[in-house]
Amino acid sequence: MAIKKSKRIYRLVSTQELAKICVVIPAYNEGAVIHDVVASLLNQAKKSRLELDVVVVNDGSKDDTSNKAAEAGAIVINHILNSGAGGATSTGLAYAASNPYLFAVTMDADGQHLPEDVIKGIELMQSGNTDLLIGSRLIDAKGMSKTKQLGNKGLSMITYMLFGIKSTDSQSGLRLFSRKALDRLRWKTTGYEFCSEMLWRAHQLKLVVNEYPIQAVYTEYSKAKGQNNWNAINIIKSLLKRRLIEILG
Amino acid sequence: MSRYLLLLLLNLPFIIAAIVGAVTQYKLKTISKRRLIVQVVIWAIILVGLVLAEPIYQFLFSNNLTETEPLSLFDVIQITAIVILFFTVMRTHSKVEVLEERLRRLHEKLSIELSSRSK
Repeated sequence: MAIKKSKRIYRLVSTQELAKICVVIPAYNEGAVIHDVVASLLNQAKKSRLELDVVVVNDGSKDDTSNKAAEAGAIVINHILNSGAGGATSTGLAYAASNPYLFAVTMDADGQHLPEDVIKGIELMQSGNTDLLIGSRLIDAKGMSKTKQLGNKGLSMITYMLFGIKSTDSQSGLRLFSRKALDRLRWKTTGYEFCSEMLWRAHQLKLVVNEYPIQAVYTEYSKAKGQNNWNAINIIKSLLKRRLIEILG
Repeated sequence: MSRYLLLLLLNLPFIIAAIVGAVTQYKLKTISKRRLIVQVVIWAIILVGLVLAEPIYQFLFSNNLTETEPLSLFDVIQITAIVILFFTVMRTHSKVEVLEERLRRLHEKLSIELSSRSK
């Protein structure tokens, strides 16, 4: 038996009850690919005999993301307002935290993460004592353009300079959270800068953070949808603001 | 009454209110110890600046480091307005932060609740 702390309510949860894993996919206008992303993940989980729920957080999409995700077998949470990647991830993880999942995973909705890498991460989480496991695209940056590598490395360096957190890929969307991390980890930013802030909060909470190599698949679709390096400026601005607010109150 | 004393008397309530507010927030665990220290230090610097305004001016003037006129009544009003603005900005900012966080949690819970009801 394990004691589960969730929103000030303590209750006994059997380890059997905690067997499921929750995969959170924040999605905004991903109707073209979300069905395939959810279906391929569920197929891979079935092959690996893993019991998992896929939760798609539809962040106020204007297309049929919600229906496509539900058709593929996902649990869909529809955001009333568009809140950004950080807000959608936060909602998905809040859902996971309020249910008896063993741990949770977040991944991108554009199909850049391979289901095999998600399963590999789950296996690593099951065998280790990590609280936050990050799938790093930059340990082996095969397939990633030089420009994207530069942008991601730059943001990892900024994360180190502002918060003192060393990470090879601070912006990776593939992350795995232990039950402890699910219950305690919260962040305030709602855009893409939440990736760096999350690492900072994990450091403040003294959570065990590790990385493992993953492969990023860049299709024409994900290249068109993904972040460009100019967005990094917004992320840096927001992180600087957050750091300053934290100091000045 | 000396203008320097008037300046201090006009600003002291805001400085005390800001320091007391910061300590209360810390005791209620709304802010961290580091934030408390930074806020208290900022307001303490302002207080010291106001208390020592006259000797600082005398020192600068006698060493030919400034040629400005002594404190006028208009200066007193201007400085007081700046301190009040600073006080208001800090309080407003802190309230906006709390409200933003509450709104985010509300949106989160509402979205989860509505989605589970519609199943």
